[in-house]
Amino acid sequence: MKNGLALFLGVFAILGLSWAGLLLSAHRQLGSLSQFKDPVEETLYPQPLSGLANQGRLVYQDLGCVSCHTQQVRHEGFGSDIERKWGQRASYARDYIRESSVLIGQSRIGPDLRNAGSTELHSYADADYFYSLLYAPQSVAPGTNMPSYAFLFETHALAGRQPSYGAIKLTGRYAPAAGYEIVPTARARALVAYLQSLKDTYDYPTERNLNAPAETAKEGGH
Amino acid sequence: MNSTESNARAEQAEIDASAKWPVLVFFGSALVWLLLGGALQLIASIQLHTPTFLSACAWTTHGRIVPAAQNALVYGWGMNAAFAFGLWLMARLSATTLRHGGWLFVAAKFWNVGVTLGILGILGGYSTSFELLEMPRYVTLILLVAYALVGVWAVTTFSIRNTENVYASQWYLFGAAFWFPWLYAIAQIMLLKAPVRGVLQPLVNAWYVHGLYGLWFIPMALAAAYYFLPKILGKPIANYYLAPLAFWWLVGTTAFAGGSRLIGSPVPVWISTLGGAANFLLVVPVVVIAINLLGTLAGQTAALGRSITLRFILISILGFILASGLNFALSIRGFAQVVQFTLVTELRDWLILYATFSTAMFGAAYFILPRLTGREWRSSALVKAHFGSAALGVILLTVGLAYGGYVQGQMLADAKVPFGEITQALTFWFAFRSVGLLVLLIGHVAFLINFAWIACPICSNETETAQFRTPPALNLPKAHAAEGHA
Repeated sequence: MKNGLALFLGVFAILGLSWAGLLLSAHRQLGSLSQFKDPVEETLYPQPLSGLANQGRLVYQDLGCVSCHTQQVRHEGFGSDIERKWGQRASYARDYIRESSVLIGQSRIGPDLRNAGSTELHSYADADYFYSLLYAPQSVAPGTNMPSYAFLFETHALAGRQPSYGAIKLTGRYAPAAGYEIVPTARARALVAYLQSLKDTYDYPTERNLNAPAETAKEGGH
Repeated sequence: MNSTESNARAEQAEIDASAKWPVLVFFGSALVWLLLGGALQLIASIQLHTPTFLSACAWTTHGRIVPAAQNALVYGWGMNAAFAFGLWLMARLSATTLRHGGWLFVAAKFWNVGVTLGILGILGGYSTSFELLEMPRYVTLILLVAYALVGVWAVTTFSIRNTENVYASQWYLFGAAFWFPWLYAIAQIMLLKAPVRGVLQPLVNAWYVHGLYGLWFIPMALAAAYYFLPKILGKPIANYYLAPLAFWWLVGTTAFAGGSRLIGSPVPVWISTLGGAANFLLVVPVVVIAINLLGTLAGQTAALGRSITLRFILISILGFILASGLNFALSIRGFAQVVQFTLVTELRDWLILYATFSTAMFGAAYFILPRLTGREWRSSALVKAHFGSAALGVILLTVGLAYGGYVQGQMLADAKVPFGEITQALTFWFAFRSVGLLVLLIGHVAFLINFAWIACPICSNETETAQFRTPPALNLPKAHAAEGHA
């Protein structure tokens, strides 16, 4: 090879083609995906996050939760996501269109969180559960290697007052010393609101068949 | 030594002199980042088996240490080392001096300031959480401007070359010099400046990450292998006529392979299928490159024993083959559904960044630095320690991540195994990884000490002056003499 210009053009073409072929054509296909209006409920899905949950998303992003947690449910027959109760159905592209940063993750050192807030799947997953999990993970998930996020909480002396409204309930060895209470900060409250908002409850009739396993050909059939 | 040879030596000495300070500055900063990133990586690894370790403070929480470590290693160590190596090799192969090197100090300064700010930003809570783009938005421009200086220098040096031919290493260097800024700028625009919607974001991210590893770090490692093998062995690359085919095929398919990372994700299936097909097609260039490089090395055991550079390059070649094999395996649906999201996926990127790229840079450094400074490596024990720990660390981590990840995947695939049990079973493998990372870190400290003795103006005073053997003349048959082995 002698020609510098040919080298340059080739190098340029490779990246240009890959950009157009992969990103641009995916954008053409998915870029205008819109919310779906349920004809009976007359509601648009997916619904946007509440303001507090959206702040919580920023906390999730800032603490790097994505290092250990995915937010994508793989379809039946591809891994055990559904059997593990990480979702009632596989995730669709449409589920993510209202999210300003989409963090589907690439590591499952911790469990998938796509439906972490679904009380249908996890009856225990109320706000108290998440506060305890963040403050002292071992108190609700013994044996976990999730680090404590105690820095999202404040310890207050009660000084004879009643415990605060938001003080978290901890028992046994994780409970604060007598006369003290543990109160979540605004960041902890936002993060828990976000985690509780994580649930894909609506099943789009338009997508329902997308992730179904391919029908196996019947013997003798065409 | 006849007069043409001595002329060539004088010319090389002049090129080396022009490249000396830029290379030393870039490489010195790279080494500092290598130690810093390695330490952060070790902390993050320890946190997985001892979750209370440094968990009390938001700055050192696991979720921030992990991206900080990865960014320090990729942008701090990886990019700086690639700049040092790439600029030197481009000047050598283009048979021209590196002009106006002062501007490269400016580039080095800005680049390192940018990376420092970015990593402080991640630790301080401004992470964007997009893989390898976690650094906050305010550093993007600093990095791009700094890179522009380096890239322009590399391309200018190439375009004022005094050689007839363009050698294989130059294709890889030239390509990488162009691909990185495009990949980075496009990813920044499509993810942070004017974000695309929904799952297009993970797609852009996967495209960028795959491009960075496959179109920046792998080309750098291959440029080193294609250069140092003929240089040190004194024989041309075996079946060199296949090298252009391998180059175009490798980079052309790698550019489309990014979607393979999204197998099973909520994106249209054609994306991961296209990526998988690209990974299958990559078998051809990987085999050709193996024929080129291993064919050149075949039967040269004695030379391997003599040259530390060759030994590192050999690890790098094996790492490249292994990484390509793993990429291939991860495109097979049956395998991917088990090991996706486990330590095995981590192994894929680590094999490229460490086993392929970093070892090639170590090999290059052992060749380049004595020639730039005119001094010997002072402690051969430290050289041996560095090589030994790198080789041992690569084996430990490859085995540990592969086996641990497979166990993890098997347990994850069985819905009856509670999640806590998986964590318990993995504790051993997390500890195993910490040991592997510690071994590597020890080797890096050994390397840094030797580097200081050879490069630092104060500590190097007592280091002996280097005596170079005349490199063996290339035994080129007449027909191949024009292939441009500078």
